[in-house]
Amino acid sequence: MTIQNDEKLQSIEKIREGLEELNYIPNDQIATAVFLAYHLDKPILIEGPPGVGKTELAKSVAQMLELECIRLQCYEGLDESKAIYEWKYGKQLLYTQVLKETLSEILDGAKGLNDSVAKLHDFGDIFFSEQFLEPRPLLKAIKKTQGCVLLIDEVDKSDHEFESLLLELLSDYQLSIPEIGTIQANPERKPLVFLTSNNTREISDALKRRCLHLYIPFPDADLEGQIVNARVPDIPVYLRKQLVAFIQELREMDLKKVPAISETIDWAKTLILLHTESLDADLVRQTLNVILKFQEDIETVQAEVQMLTNKAVKEA
Amino acid sequence: METTLVDFVKVLRTAEVKVSPAETLDAMAALELVGYRDRNLLKDSLSMILSKTPEEKELFETSFEKFFTFENIRDQAASTDDDHLDDDNQASDKDPSNPGNNQAGGKGSGEGGGQGAAEDDLEDEDDSTHLQPSSPLGKLLMSGNRSELMISLSEAGRRVEVNQIVVFTQKGLYTRKIMDAMGLKPLQDEISELQGDGGRPERNLAKKLKLGRDRLRDQVRDYVEKQFFLHADESGKQLREELLKKVKLSNLEKRNFKDVQEIVFKMAKKLVAIHSKRRKTFKRGQLDVRKTLRKNMQYDGMFFDLQWKASKVDRPKVMCICDVSGSVSNYSRFLLMFLYSLSEVIPKVRSFAFSSDLGEVTQLFENSKLEDAMAKTMRDYGNGSTDYGQMFMDFKRNCMDDVNNKTTIIILGDARNNYGNPQAEILHEMYEKSRRVIWLNPEPRSNWIVGDAEMKKYAPNCHQTDVCNSLTHLERVVANLLRFAS
Repeated sequence: MTIQNDEKLQSIEKIREGLEELNYIPNDQIATAVFLAYHLDKPILIEGPPGVGKTELAKSVAQMLELECIRLQCYEGLDESKAIYEWKYGKQLLYTQVLKETLSEILDGAKGLNDSVAKLHDFGDIFFSEQFLEPRPLLKAIKKTQGCVLLIDEVDKSDHEFESLLLELLSDYQLSIPEIGTIQANPERKPLVFLTSNNTREISDALKRRCLHLYIPFPDADLEGQIVNARVPDIPVYLRKQLVAFIQELREMDLKKVPAISETIDWAKTLILLHTESLDADLVRQTLNVILKFQEDIETVQAEVQMLTNKAVKEA
Repeated sequence: METTLVDFVKVLRTAEVKVSPAETLDAMAALELVGYRDRNLLKDSLSMILSKTPEEKELFETSFEKFFTFENIRDQAASTDDDHLDDDNQASDKDPSNPGNNQAGGKGSGEGGGQGAAEDDLEDEDDSTHLQPSSPLGKLLMSGNRSELMISLSEAGRRVEVNQIVVFTQKGLYTRKIMDAMGLKPLQDEISELQGDGGRPERNLAKKLKLGRDRLRDQVRDYVEKQFFLHADESGKQLREELLKKVKLSNLEKRNFKDVQEIVFKMAKKLVAIHSKRRKTFKRGQLDVRKTLRKNMQYDGMFFDLQWKASKVDRPKVMCICDVSGSVSNYSRFLLMFLYSLSEVIPKVRSFAFSSDLGEVTQLFENSKLEDAMAKTMRDYGNGSTDYGQMFMDFKRNCMDDVNNKTTIIILGDARNNYGNPQAEILHEMYEKSRRVIWLNPEPRSNWIVGDAEMKKYAPNCHQTDVCNSLTHLERVVANLLRFAS
C-alpha cells in the first residue's frame, strides 16, 4: 500500500522521528508496529491499560501522514447500519413516488405485460444503488481513494457479532453489500487500520489472527519524562523529574486505578498552572484528585503522601 | 531459512502459544521485510505477529531467547581460536541460522582469552611441520572456524531430526547420532592412524584432534540439551497432562496435585472462554420503544422493524453438596477446585461438605487458598461415618428456602448410607423446587446398587446421574452445567 507522504514510513527511524515531531514519543515496539502495518498491509490491534496513548497513536499517525482519521467508536449494540452503511429510505420513497407519476410515460409504447415488466425491471435496481447509500465510517474509509487512517476504538465494547462483521474488512480490505456487490479499497492506497481494546473481554481468535498485536504498557520513568517534556514543554526539568518519580511510585502501589500517562500530563499542566516549582506534600494532597479517580485510592494515598513526596524529591 | 522459522513456530506451539499457519506466513513476510540484522527488531516484529495476549508475549519472550541463541557454543568455540574472531563476526552476520549473535561473539572473546594462551603454545610447536589433518571433520576442527562448525552441527542436528526428542534418556543417543552425522568415524580413524605412526608431529596432531573432538562432543551435548528443553520438555508435559486427565482421581498421588490443579485451571479457562459470552433471550410481546424508535429512524420514522425487549440469560446458581468422607474426598476436592476456578462464569457457588452433619464451606473457599480450605474442611467435616439421611435433613432445615427454580444442585458422593434411612423424599422435594439436581457418583454404574449403596432410591429423584471419576468426566459435567444454564 502506498500513501502520500510514503517516505515518512520508509524506515522505523523515520516513523519515530515523524511521531516525535508531533509530540508522540513512541517506544521501539510502537514504531516497529506502524512500520510492519504499513508494509504488510495489516491492521494493528492495540491493547494496554487505559490512558497509555492507544487512540492517540492512531491520531498521531494520521496527522503525520496528513490523512483523514476516520473514527468508529464501538459500543454495545453497534451494528452494520451504524458501522458500514444504511439505505436512504426516505429518498427511496420519494423516488418511488416520482416514478409512480411518470409510470405511464415509461410504459408508453410497451406491448403486453412481459414488455412492461421488462421495462420496469431496469428501474428496480436503481433504488439499491450507491446514490441511495448512506456510508458509515467503515464504508467511508474503504471508499477514500487517497487512503486514510481508520480507527476502530474500543472494539472490546462491541458485541461478538460485530467482530465477525469486521473480519472481511480487516483481511481483504473490502466490504460486501448484498444489493450492490463488493466494494474494494484502492489497492494502492489501502487504509491504515488501528483497533484499540481495553481488554474488558477477550477478543476472538479470528480477529486477533488478522491483526498485528501491539501491547502498550505503562512507560518507564525515562520515556515518561520525555513524553511529559514533549506535551508540557514549559515544565521545569527538576519538577518534571519529581513528578515522574512520584507517578512511578504510585504505579507500584495497590490501587484500583493507577494513574496513566494522560493523568501525568494533566497533573503536569495543573502544577504549571499553580506556579509550582517543587513538589511538596501539601500541594500533592490538594491536587491528588487530578491523578487518582477513586475516593478509595485517594484515601489510601493520602496517608502515604509525605513519604512518597520525600522519596520522589530525593530521586529527582 | 524458512525451516528455522517453522522450527521456531513449532517451539512456540509446544510452549502453548497458539500460532496459526496464516500467522506463520505473515511472520515470513515480516522476516523478508526486517531481515535478521537487528535481533531486537526481529523479536519485536515476530512478537507482534505470533503472540497475541500479554501472557503469550511472555512465553514468546522466553522461547525466543532460548531458540535464537548459540552463546554457549560460541563461548567455547571462541576459546579454541581467538584469531578468527573478526572473520567470524562477519561470517555470522551473513549466517542465517544464528541471527544477531554479535554480542555473543564479543562476550566469547573476553572469556576465551585465558584458554587461548594455552592454545598458542601448542601451535608454536606445530609450526615447523605444517601437518594437516585429512578427514573433513578434522579439517573443520583445526581450521577453528566456529561458525562453520556450528552450521555443520545444526545441519547434522536437522539431519538426525533432533527436534523429535521426547524423553531425556534419549540425550546420549542423539549426541552420538549428531557426532556420527558430522563425520566422527573418519576422524577417529585418522586419530588412531596418526597415533600408530609414532612420529612426533603426527602424535601432536592426534593430540590436538582428540582435544578438538572432546570439545566438540561437549558442544554437541549442550546443543542436544538445549534442543531437549525446547522441543521435549513441553511435549512431555502434555503427555503427562493427557494421562492425568484420564486417571481415576482417587488414585492420584499427592505429588501430582499441583499438576492436576494446573490442568483444572486450564480446563476452567477454556470453559470460561466459551461461556463468557452471555446469551440473550428474546421475549415476544414486550416492545422496546426506545430501540424501535432508533432503529426505524432510517425508515423515516415508519415503524417498520419492531424491536423486542431482550433479557440476558442468568448465570447458573450452583449449590454443591460434597461428601468428604475418606473414599470420596479426592473427588470433592477437584470438583470444588473446578467450580471455584469458574467464578467468572458461575459467580454464585455455595458449597456444603458433609460426612454425617452438613456444613456450609462457601466462605472458607472464597477467603482462603484452596489447599487450606480443603484441609480445614476435611478436619471439620471429614470424620464420622457417612449418613446421607442426616445430610438431607440438615439441608432441608437450613437451606431449602434458598433453593429456587434457578438453582442447580450438584451432589457428589457414593450414596453409601451404611444402611441408614436414605430420606429420599427430601431429595424429591429438592428435585421439585430446583432447576436441576445432578448426582455425581465416582463408582462405576454397576456398583450403584451393590451393598449399602442407595442410588436406586436417589436416582429417580435426580435430573441427571453421572459417573464421575476423572478430570475428563468433571470437565464434561461442568460444561453441561453451563450449557443448560444458558
